[in-house]
Amino acid sequence: MAPLKHLEMENPIIDACFRDFCSSHGILTVEDFLIHDLYELAAFAERQVDADRLKEGITVMLSLVEVKCRPWLNGMELLEDLQRNKQTLSSGDNGTDSLLQGGLREGQVTELVGPSSSGKTQFCMQAAASVAEKQEGSVFYIDTGNSFSARRIAQFICGSSAAAVLRKRVLSRISCHTVYDIYTMFDTLQGLEVALRSQMNVNECRLRLLVVDSISSLITPILGGSGSQGRALMVALGYLLKKLAHEHNIAVLVTNYTVGAGENGKTKPALGETWKSIPHVRLMLSRDNRNNSCTISILKHTSMLSGQTVTRKDNQQCL
Amino acid sequence: MREHEAARDWIRSDETAKQMLSRVLGDRAFLLLPPLHRVPLRAGNVVEITGSSPTAKTQILIQAAIACILPKTWNGVHYGGLEKLVLFLDLDCRFDVMRLSDMLKHRLLEANRIGNGAWWQLEESSGVKNCRGAQDKSKSKSKIVYDEELYVSCMKRFLYLRCYDSLELLSSLKTLHYRIRLQEACGSQVGVLMIDSIGAFHWTDRLSSSLALDKNNRKSLSLTNVVETIVQEMKKLMRVHSLVVIATKATIYEEKYPTNENNRKLSSNNDKAQQPPFREFMPSSWQAFVTHKIFIRKSGDHHQSSGQQSLSAYSLEWLQPQLSSIDRFIVDDSGVVIVS
Repeated sequence: MAPLKHLEMENPIIDACFRDFCSSHGILTVEDFLIHDLYELAAFAERQVDADRLKEGITVMLSLVEVKCRPWLNGMELLEDLQRNKQTLSSGDNGTDSLLQGGLREGQVTELVGPSSSGKTQFCMQAAASVAEKQEGSVFYIDTGNSFSARRIAQFICGSSAAAVLRKRVLSRISCHTVYDIYTMFDTLQGLEVALRSQMNVNECRLRLLVVDSISSLITPILGGSGSQGRALMVALGYLLKKLAHEHNIAVLVTNYTVGAGENGKTKPALGETWKSIPHVRLMLSRDNRNNSCTISILKHTSMLSGQTVTRKDNQQCL
Repeated sequence: MREHEAARDWIRSDETAKQMLSRVLGDRAFLLLPPLHRVPLRAGNVVEITGSSPTAKTQILIQAAIACILPKTWNGVHYGGLEKLVLFLDLDCRFDVMRLSDMLKHRLLEANRIGNGAWWQLEESSGVKNCRGAQDKSKSKSKIVYDEELYVSCMKRFLYLRCYDSLELLSSLKTLHYRIRLQEACGSQVGVLMIDSIGAFHWTDRLSSSLALDKNNRKSLSLTNVVETIVQEMKKLMRVHSLVVIATKATIYEEKYPTNENNRKLSSNNDKAQQPPFREFMPSSWQAFVTHKIFIRKSGDHHQSSGQQSLSAYSLEWLQPQLSSIDRFIVDDSGVVIVS
């Protein structure tokens, strides 16, 4: 909420009498300027002594706002950006890759929902190992429940033939951060955003995957009651993730647990109705203990039909 | 003598009623955008599509966008489009351009195959559908291919912008007029303004209302003020350009009313109360701005005749103007297909 006087240095037309005129209408910052009706403001300016100068000031403000806006992209430019910048990352498991037509897509937020001990953390670690090894990208792993295990990731990095040096190099691409509450989460993500914006693009080991295991344990403590604070923070976190994914071409993977007994007794994902609009892709992981298999089904996808499933057998250490 | 001339000029008509009607119908023509074809839309209408997530609202927008960006005819093939620009404001930030591209390609291929482009007749005649299935296998060998130049020109008529919060949305709306003027200088006209998920920033704006500064002169960035400004800017745009606004809205409260259609029909006959089937959360300035309302809910599975897996079906109901018929549709590769 920068006050208008900070703009004076570069735009001398926004001088003291323009600012006085604005503050007489309750406009002290650029955000206030956005809330007001500009034609009405220009009509008020007409009545003043230095009408032309004031109207010129309003036009300059509007052009400053326009400079900050993003440009409108047409369909061909969107396609080009998609094909050039946003690749598909393999999730480490062939079944999931075939279900998702390639795997996790950069620029999208993928949510994995499942009851406890259904293998969500294993899926996350497998995806991290696959991205670090095969796509040679770095992974930012946010762990909220102390379930990260470097040894398990080392097992996912394939084969007995993997040399210790290779294993060490791959593991060094994964950075793990423990976060226990949502405010530290905002802090961490905003620090990441600043680091990404200042980094040079030509880097072989750029950040490709951001894992949050699990996001519901950060949000559930603040949700609750009819107040809007909890849900506002949840939406703000969701949009921050979407922004990171799209602007910096990262695939974001978050996990969520299920809460039981809707009206028909089926389990449904936690975090409520508002959260449903945040992830691009929602996958449900369910485990069948009798057959030792787990099934992944699509709850929602931006370009595929929901309801498709793939089942795989357990105890796969390596691809 | 001059006063007589002036008086006679004043009495003489500018145009006849027939001329006026043909001019108005030409400028502000009726748009029949499937699957919203039950009610013809004119420039100046604001349509709001409400549904929980996921109920194919964005798919409907994409389908309507394709109907808008296609030309009427091209190289002798009739497509039946409006050849106008579509402005897509993505507040949900989940738009997938691959889906738009695939649906457009499907549409171009179908129009070329049929030859006269009346594509909505495809769904009704199952004979043609079977024929399409057989054609799909030999698509690579078939000589019918879509026109790449047409595809590119259509994609270029789709303009997209995403906003991550209300301030970005407000600044985009304030500068939209100039950008439309730039586009119109190149010869293309804007047909539809689409907003994906108008309630996207509802919670974050509500939070800023509770943190509002209470200086006496100052207008705070509260939810009502933000929505009022959005409505104001859109009204200004609609006065100058003839466009239709289509906005989707995701419900943010759980549906407490019975979800079964039969239950709802019985209860509405009993109480005659015009209760909407969802809890309205948008401020009254937006509700007054909307001229047409649609509600979509999930309606069980649809079993396809050819033995493929059953797809989830959705029902589309017009709340304003209130129509008694409810369309059921499914979403498949080619887009939204009405089944009953």
